[in-house]
Amino acid sequence: MKEPVGDAVSILRERLREFIQAQEPQAEGIEVGNLAPLTAGNTRNAWSFDASWNEGEIKRTAGCVMLRKAEAGQLETPLIPEFEVIRRLGKTGLPIPQAFWIDPEGKWLERPAFILERVAGTSDFPALMRPEGAEMSRGVAEHLVEVGAQLHTADWKALGLDFLPATTIKTAAAQQVEYWESLFRRHRLEPHPAMVAAFIWLKEHQPVADRITVVHGDFRYGNLLYEGKRINALLDWEMVHLGDPVEDLTWAYRALWSPAGVMSLEEFTDRYTKASGIPVHPDNLLFYRLFNEMKHAIISLTGAKSFNDGRTRNIVIADRAATVTSYLIQFFDWLPEVKVGKAS
Amino acid sequence: MIRPTVGELLSGVAVSLRERVLPEIPPGVTRRQIQAAIGIIRRVALVWDKTGPYFYADNQDIEETLRRLLPVLQRVVADEADAQLEAVSMKLRSTLEQSSQPAGPYPSPAVLGDRNIELQGLLAELEEVLHENPAAKTTGRLEIDSVVRALLRRMLARELEITSPAR
Repeated sequence: MKEPVGDAVSILRERLREFIQAQEPQAEGIEVGNLAPLTAGNTRNAWSFDASWNEGEIKRTAGCVMLRKAEAGQLETPLIPEFEVIRRLGKTGLPIPQAFWIDPEGKWLERPAFILERVAGTSDFPALMRPEGAEMSRGVAEHLVEVGAQLHTADWKALGLDFLPATTIKTAAAQQVEYWESLFRRHRLEPHPAMVAAFIWLKEHQPVADRITVVHGDFRYGNLLYEGKRINALLDWEMVHLGDPVEDLTWAYRALWSPAGVMSLEEFTDRYTKASGIPVHPDNLLFYRLFNEMKHAIISLTGAKSFNDGRTRNIVIADRAATVTSYLIQFFDWLPEVKVGKAS
Repeated sequence: MIRPTVGELLSGVAVSLRERVLPEIPPGVTRRQIQAAIGIIRRVALVWDKTGPYFYADNQDIEETLRRLLPVLQRVVADEADAQLEAVSMKLRSTLEQSSQPAGPYPSPAVLGDRNIELQGLLAELEEVLHENPAAKTTGRLEIDSVVRALLRRMLARELEITSPAR
């Protein structure tokens, strides 16, 4: 969370230089310039810099972004799988930054970190939500359909992504519910009977996935770099896993960042099915819409607990527990009624 | 001292921070932290004076609903001879009996909050035991489910007044 200033920036610059040297032993005359913080996110802090070096007669330059693990926050996920997914999916033609180097334990860069290609574009998603940005937003939504279809049809086995935890069409939903429920039980600060009820419903209504694909896990406006109507990069892969692709589609349509104002979910899923050949069944759609409300609720509880425990001093996430209520209300609004007369 | 109330005081602090302090801070991490702090202070200012009544109303509703459910639960226990449900039923009865013995005439928000957590825990336990065997969906269990779900929705609606107060 804390941005190094003055000498601390100089020290970080030197560490980056030494780190790159260790990764590229053939490089000579490495220079690191224009080092500046981009964002202080809740899970990764981003820094921008330019690197240049010589390889024999060839001068190499690279615009880079360093993503450094933040102190405890809303998500505590390992860096290596995330980096490997980016590196391997980067070869598929998907708009994903090139993955350069990783310091998985923070041996060089003080905290675990990896370095990616810096991609042009903006991540300003409020601009996509404003009425005056509707035309641009429509274009981005259309491209998002294509990106989703491309991601979900990527041959993850051939790409070597089978290091991600294995799952099946029958167990994908159960595994996600189990994972997020375990975090709920670990991070809740009170019993939360509404969340207990929600998990019970999710455990009793798990749909079968049409197929297992790479699931980005945070697929939405806000995690894109775009220019005009085109997406240049899909960012923030810390929740990537194998599972039901419908999870991504429904996450993209959560109320906080939904493109529904320019493209209905129905149109989005129709276009997606045409582009990918993957059907979107109503049961899966409902299940993952409900599941995603819980997932976001637990991300928020995790942040609140980290602050409450003093493991982070990031005030931005201090009051995240207060956001959970509206997600739960949405959950119960979408939940089918209990039919009392139909006992089995 | 009654005035300023805690809510008024915190509201004033939030306004001062927003109007006087924030403009002096350049864009960056520190500014975002101050903005977040102002948001939290504003929320707390709006709900500070409401927390006691909120807990009181929530506790009343949970207790009344559980009391209404007790005969249904006892019927399910008698029909099914489920030991876990019987244990929850006994715990429920004992917890509800405690409510007629208040700690004092004017319980503090902290006391009401502790009671709220106790009742929340009981409700969560009831739900879990009720669904221990997902195949057992008797009319009695479904009736309890339906009443509990309606209670949860009322609880969330009340909670929203505290977590997202109208500004």
